[in-house]
Amino acid sequence: MPDQIHSETNLHQEAEELLPWYATGQLESDERLLVEQHLSNCAHCRRQLAFERRMVDEFDALTPQVDTGWARLKQRLEPRQSWRRRAARELALLRQSFIRPQVAAVAFAQLAFVIVAGSVLFSLSRPSYRALGSAPPPQSANVIAVFSTDTTEPQLRHLLQSNGASFVGGPTPADAYLLRVPATSREVVLVHLRADHHVLMAQPIDGASS
Amino acid sequence: MREGPTVNVSGTAIRSRTAGPPQGVLDELELLERIKAHDVDAFERLYRIYQPRLARFLVHLLRRPQLVEEVLDDTMMVVWKTAGSFRGTSKLSTWVFAIAYRKALKARARWPDPLENEERDSRVSNDPSPDSELERSRVHDALTRAMDVLSTEQRAVVDLTYFHGLSYRDIAEILSCPVDTVKTRMFHARRRLKQALSGTLADWL
Repeated sequence: MPDQIHSETNLHQEAEELLPWYATGQLESDERLLVEQHLSNCAHCRRQLAFERRMVDEFDALTPQVDTGWARLKQRLEPRQSWRRRAARELALLRQSFIRPQVAAVAFAQLAFVIVAGSVLFSLSRPSYRALGSAPPPQSANVIAVFSTDTTEPQLRHLLQSNGASFVGGPTPADAYLLRVPATSREVVLVHLRADHHVLMAQPIDGASS
Repeated sequence: MREGPTVNVSGTAIRSRTAGPPQGVLDELELLERIKAHDVDAFERLYRIYQPRLARFLVHLLRRPQLVEEVLDDTMMVVWKTAGSFRGTSKLSTWVFAIAYRKALKARARWPDPLENEERDSRVSNDPSPDSELERSRVHDALTRAMDVLSTEQRAVVDLTYFHGLSYRDIAEILSCPVDTVKTRMFHARRRLKQALSGTLADWL
């Protein structure tokens, strides 16, 4: 008899411990059976099960709002990689614009924003006074380009010099640069720029086709 | 330092409840494969799946919204950087929650005192509200106070059981402890919850 009492006490303890997971349906079939058999003759555990079910309901409603952001986390990813992806995406969109007319509107709207934002930033960054010996005001840009992040200064200098190009503005919010290239040879320069592996994107920006 | 558990520390095999993994799990594993190849879009999708669950889990452990953000971001950065170390011996969700739990414990070691009083003050609204709303708010406040009396380990077990609906085996893996420890922690946590709630919720205790 003492053995039987001991065994029933163990069974009760085992079943009671399992009740939370019985309430959430997370028990294996043998454990579920054990709990169900015990519940049929234990009023204490039946009351406890009611408590478990109420807790599940209450916890479901107890949902604190925590505002965390993907944008912030994204900044912590490899900066170079995310930059490359963004530049590649912009370039892909522009490429598509020449294939699919409906994408062209989106692409050029985006490009227009980049140019306007870049121009505004540039004009804001210019001093309103002119010191003696200051360079003449820059000419308007006629090419927008994005360079890969691993481009070194000498490579960039050579790239610009060999194509008769100069910086007019940038970097824009999209990390693009505004360039001025000789108007008469712009199409040739664009071909050269696009062929260079340091150039992720090069597009004309004053309405003329490339 | 090992960031992701690849062994079942509970010493028992994780038994599948269905014939195969559900579609959502397969999608997550596919995302993880892409994350291993540094696919940022796949990582964003996995983040959006786990953000609400992790935020909910961490807010109960840490209590400080700023710390929750920090630990959640740190957790997902470990997922991003060590996706290749996930061997599939446990569920992906178990792996991610285990990382979050370890990060939370470390953060708690740095910030041991939760801002309990400030939080409580902000939770109680003085706006007039319907009786049912008032009752719900009263219950939620009581439950949140009741959670305050639990240890970090007990809160983790309670939240993972009641809210996240995890089995005690999965919880044992997340907490890196034997399954019997999970059962014992839950048993004592329920007892303390009941005591803490007895004044407010006598009708259903």
